[in-house]
Amino acid sequence: MSTVDVRTRIVNSVAVIYPGPYLNQLRGECLEGRCRELLAGGIRGVVINFEETELINSIGISILLGVIETVNESSGSLVLSNLSATNRELFEMLGLLVHVRIEETEEIALGKLSARSEVAAR
Amino acid sequence: MKLALRKMLHNLSALTDLGAEISSTHNFEEVMRASLHTLLGSLAIPRGAIAQFSARPRMLKIMAARGLPGAIGGHILLGREEVKRLALHGRPLEVAAEQNGLSHFVQRNGDILKRMRAHTFVPMVVHGGLEGVIFLSEKFTKEPFTEDDTELINTISRHIGMAFYNHRLLASLRRKAEENRKLYQDMRQMYQDTIKAFGAAIDLKDTYTKGHSDRVARYSEAIAREMGITGTDLEYIEVAGYLHDIGKIVVDRSIINNPRPLTDREFQELNRHVTTGYEILSNINHPWKEIAYMTKCHHEKVDGTGYPQGLRGDEIPLGSKIVTLADSFDAMMTDRPYRSRLPLDRALSDMHRNAGKQFASEVVAAFCRLLLKEINGTSRDRVFIPVIGLKFDREAISSTLTSMIEELD
Repeated sequence: MSTVDVRTRIVNSVAVIYPGPYLNQLRGECLEGRCRELLAGGIRGVVINFEETELINSIGISILLGVIETVNESSGSLVLSNLSATNRELFEMLGLLVHVRIEETEEIALGKLSARSEVAAR
Repeated sequence: MKLALRKMLHNLSALTDLGAEISSTHNFEEVMRASLHTLLGSLAIPRGAIAQFSARPRMLKIMAARGLPGAIGGHILLGREEVKRLALHGRPLEVAAEQNGLSHFVQRNGDILKRMRAHTFVPMVVHGGLEGVIFLSEKFTKEPFTEDDTELINTISRHIGMAFYNHRLLASLRRKAEENRKLYQDMRQMYQDTIKAFGAAIDLKDTYTKGHSDRVARYSEAIAREMGITGTDLEYIEVAGYLHDIGKIVVDRSIINNPRPLTDREFQELNRHVTTGYEILSNINHPWKEIAYMTKCHHEKVDGTGYPQGLRGDEIPLGSKIVTLADSFDAMMTDRPYRSRLPLDRALSDMHRNAGKQFASEVVAAFCRLLLKEINGTSRDRVFIPVIGLKFDREAISSTLTSMIEELD
């Protein structure tokens, strides 16, 4: 039984997920589960805000890869935001920067995803 | 920070996480799941599976999988030769490579490997034996594995392989411990049954004392328990109850069943049963030593007038004092060749009179407490009721017991 939960909010049909201070197996699985629920509920835009996240371990990365694939398979869009320098370096080292959209802030990420939804709706 | 240093730190962190997971007390499936995550996350590999090798039947059973829905529990059958070849390699192998001698294995399992999008498989080998295989897809970036990546995969796989090995060893030890526990239980049961059989054999010599040893054992055990005795000490006292008269095996049946007063010679012959019993039992190894001495002393009296050694007070083992009382109570409550059973009030009066002389006062007190609990119905146990019956003045007996307890406790 999970004893942690990840905070989520919905802004203009885009979900913002906050993984918390340490993205490990416990929080990662929580994040993955929440993401699946949101996609099943019709959400297609997801922002993961790493502002509070100080550390991402290997298990967290593995789970995050699963989340990226799940969103892609659902024809959704995923943007990571507010990455600290350390976490950005980690993504860079693993070669993920070119495969995942990353924005400086949650507002920018939301703006990009909202604009995309509007284009898709037209 | 330089990229190489960052990578090294990331890998170190992954290995630390893996070590913590493998040495954790989580269930094994959970450990494997976390270990797979660690391996995949350390190199950004999106899909993979860990399969455990089973020798009978020869197959790989998928225990953990990532990015492969429905894969867990799946099996990959192996040929004898394939097991040998996998065990020979023990390092990452490309599924597509022809030169590893496993092309037949790859061909035969093409479908499942394709479904797993397996690009590389890593046999986990410990002490020359195949423990399992790890299947990995390409990296998320589609870049090929570098030499450093291969080394990291090797290192992590070795750790996971060792976890499999230890898990198997532990399971085998647990199985053996359980087998030994059952064996011990069986032997213990056999030991208890043998003791009961001995007790019954002794009682057969005396037409009046059928079931005597069994009752003395039950009374002794109950009184000892009431006195706070537990564990093996309690068990020994019960066994001493069963075997206290074992020496009677060599006493002439005509003496045991004689309805007339015994002559001095006959008394001497009868009284020999305690030393004979001791000789019989002391020749048997552990755990009988204490029991042998307990039976030898069951006719000693706390005032020093008993036999065979004339011991007094604390010189007499507590177990013997308990058996003495249990033996006497049963003798008083059953018909004998030379007299009928005594009424309960008379038996209690006899015990009261002999407390501190023939019987240890604390043992008489414990007996009285136990009997009072049974009579009052405050105890569910029925140790004495079967022999004393229900035909007695409950109020008077309760009063007698209460005053005896107050006086002796």
